[in-house]
Amino acid sequence: MTLKSVLTGAISGAVIAVSMPASAETQLNVITGGSQNMVEYVTDYLGPLFEEKYPGVKVRVTGTGPGDAGSQKILEKLEAQSAAGKEQWDIDVIVAAQKKTGEMKEMGLLADFRGNIETGKMVTRETAENALGVYVGGYVMPMFHSQTAIAYNPALVPNPPESYDELREWVKKYPKQFGYNGIKNGMSGVAFVTGWMYTYAGDAKTLQSGPYDAAKKETWAQAYADLKAFNENVTFTPGNAGTLDMLNRGEIVMGPVWVDMFYSWQGDGRIPPNLKLKLIAPGMPGQPYYYATPAKAANKELAEKFIELATSPAVQAEGIVNRFNWYPGIDADHVKASLDEKVWSKLFTDVTPLELAQKGKPFPIGPYFDDIKEGYEKQVSN
Amino acid sequence: MGAILLVAPALLMIGFLFVYPFGYSVVSAFTDNGEGSWHIANFTKAVEFYSKDILFTIVIVSLSTAIIGILAVAIAGYLTLGENKTAVAILKWLYRWPLFIPFIVSAQLMRTFLAKNGMMNNILTSSGIIEPLAAQSYLDWRGIVITFVWKQTPFVALLVAGAMASIDRTTIDAGRIFGASRLRILIELVVPQIATTLMVGLILSYVVMLSVLSVPLMINAQSPTMLTVDMAWRINSYGDYGVANALGIMSYLFTGVVAWFYLRQSLKDKGA
Repeated sequence: MTLKSVLTGAISGAVIAVSMPASAETQLNVITGGSQNMVEYVTDYLGPLFEEKYPGVKVRVTGTGPGDAGSQKILEKLEAQSAAGKEQWDIDVIVAAQKKTGEMKEMGLLADFRGNIETGKMVTRETAENALGVYVGGYVMPMFHSQTAIAYNPALVPNPPESYDELREWVKKYPKQFGYNGIKNGMSGVAFVTGWMYTYAGDAKTLQSGPYDAAKKETWAQAYADLKAFNENVTFTPGNAGTLDMLNRGEIVMGPVWVDMFYSWQGDGRIPPNLKLKLIAPGMPGQPYYYATPAKAANKELAEKFIELATSPAVQAEGIVNRFNWYPGIDADHVKASLDEKVWSKLFTDVTPLELAQKGKPFPIGPYFDDIKEGYEKQVSN
Repeated sequence: MGAILLVAPALLMIGFLFVYPFGYSVVSAFTDNGEGSWHIANFTKAVEFYSKDILFTIVIVSLSTAIIGILAVAIAGYLTLGENKTAVAILKWLYRWPLFIPFIVSAQLMRTFLAKNGMMNNILTSSGIIEPLAAQSYLDWRGIVITFVWKQTPFVALLVAGAMASIDRTTIDAGRIFGASRLRILIELVVPQIATTLMVGLILSYVVMLSVLSVPLMINAQSPTMLTVDMAWRINSYGDYGVANALGIMSYLFTGVVAWFYLRQSLKDKGA
C-alpha cells in the first residue's frame, strides 16, 4: 500500500465518519488461513462483490498464513475469545484448512449454519460432512477442493498407467522416469504415499473415517516393503514445484502434482501445453478449504450471506474454477452452467467429474495420517 | 556492585534470548514437550528413525569442510604466491562473490545449474565434452556438498588470505632461494604458519553448514537427508518438539566437539 492510498483512505474514512451516522457501516471480518492468494481472493474479488450487493457493509480481511500453522492461529484466537467469556466474537467468517477446522468444530467454536443458506443443498461430497475423522456436517461449506493426480507427458507415455498396480509395472519397465517428492518435500508426495497405503494397506475406509486402532499400523509392513522396492526405480524431486520443474525439463515423464498448480503453471507457460493428468485407481487424496462461521460471530446473518455468495454457482465458476483452477467446493454440476465451455473442459477433460467423485479421496484421519508418515520414515526411508 | 549493574542488561539479554530457550529445548528433549517425567524416548526414537540421516549429516559436513579447506588454501595461496599480476587481481575480485549470496539463493541457483538438463550439463553437452545421454543430475548429496563448498570457501579463503598476507615474507623468500617449488612453499612454509586461522575458519564453516535448512531441503530430495530437514519435518508435520529437540541436541553435540577444539586453540593462543 502506498502512502498516497493510505492518506486517501484516511481522508475518505474521515469524510464518511463525519457525514454518516456511525452505525451505517457494518464491518464484516473475514479471517483466512492459506497463502497470500487466499487473502487477495477476498480483497480483490469476493469482498467488492459482497459490498456491491450489500451497501453499507465493509469487508475486512486478515490473513494468517499457509498450512495448518495459519489455521491454528485462527483456532487460537477463537479459543481465547471463548475462554474470555465474550458474548460477541470479532471474527465473522473463517477460511481454514481441513484438519484445524475439524478441531475447531470439536472444541465448539463453530456455528451450525449450512441449513440456513441456499447453497447448503448444493454440496454432497464427503468432505462436507467429514473433516479427517471429525463430523462437520452443517458447520462448514467447502470453498474449493484441491486434488492430486499424476501428470504425464502423452508424447512419451501414450498409455499411462490406470492404477497403482499398473504404475508399479510401469516403473519397472521405465526406471527413473516416474518422479515424486517423497514425504518431506511437499504434500503431493504425501498424497501419493497415502494413495499407496489406501491401495495396499487394506481397509482404506477405516483409514479415512476411523475408528482409530493403534495396532493397525503393525499390519502395514508389506505395503512399505513394496513401496521401498518401488522407490528403487523412481526419481525423487525437490517439492511440488520441483516435480513440475523436472517434468518441464524432461527429466521425468510422470509424477504426482496438485491439479490447480498444474493448470496454473500450464496457464503461465511454465510447463508444456501438451502435458496431461491422470487420476489413477483406486484413487488419490485431495483436500478442501472450508468456509465456516464462529459460534458467536457478531454479524452472524451477514456472515451466512457472505458464505452463501461465496459458494454460489456463479462465484464458484468465476472465482474458484476460472481464476484459480481449483475444483469447486459445491458439486460440479451446479457450476457447469455458469462456466465457459473452454474453462470447464480444461479442468474436467483429464479428470472427469465422475472420476473425481469415485477416485478423489480424503486424507486419512489424524492419528492414522501420522502413523502412515512415521511408518514411511521408519520402514521406507531409514 | 556497580560492575554487576553495568553488565546486567547484557546478561539478561543473553539469559532470555539464549540460555532460556537453549535450556528449554534441552528439557523438552528429555521430557514430553517440557512437561512430564524425564526419559530418553525422544532420543531412541530419533536414532530409530533418523540413524542414516545422522550419519549422512556428519559425512556431508565433514567432507564439505575438508574440501573447503583445500580450496581456500589454494585460492589464498595463489593470492599470496601468484606471480601473474592480472590473474591475481581477477581472482581477488572474483572469489568473494558467493559470500554475499544467501544460502537459500545459492540453493536455488544450484537447482537450475546442477539439474540433469540444467545449465552445467547443457554447457558440457553443447561443447561436446559429454554425450547428452551421459548427463546426470547432481541434485543429491553431491549437490549439497557443491553448494556448501561454493558458498563457504570464500569465507575461509578471506580469513586465510588475510593471515597469509601478514606472515613474514622472508620465510617465503628463503624457501625460494633454496629452490623450493611454490607448491612446496605453500604446504611446508605458509600453511603451518596460518594453521590456526585456517582451523578457526573451518570450524565456523562446519557449524554454519550444520545449521543450514534450505540447501538440503531444496537440493537433496532423496533420503537420507540432513538433520535440519528432519527437525523442521518433526515440527511441521507432527507438532513433535520432543524428537526435534533431541535431534537438535545431537547437532549441539556435533558442534560441541569442534567448539572444544576451538576453545582449546584460543586458550593456547592466549597462553602463548
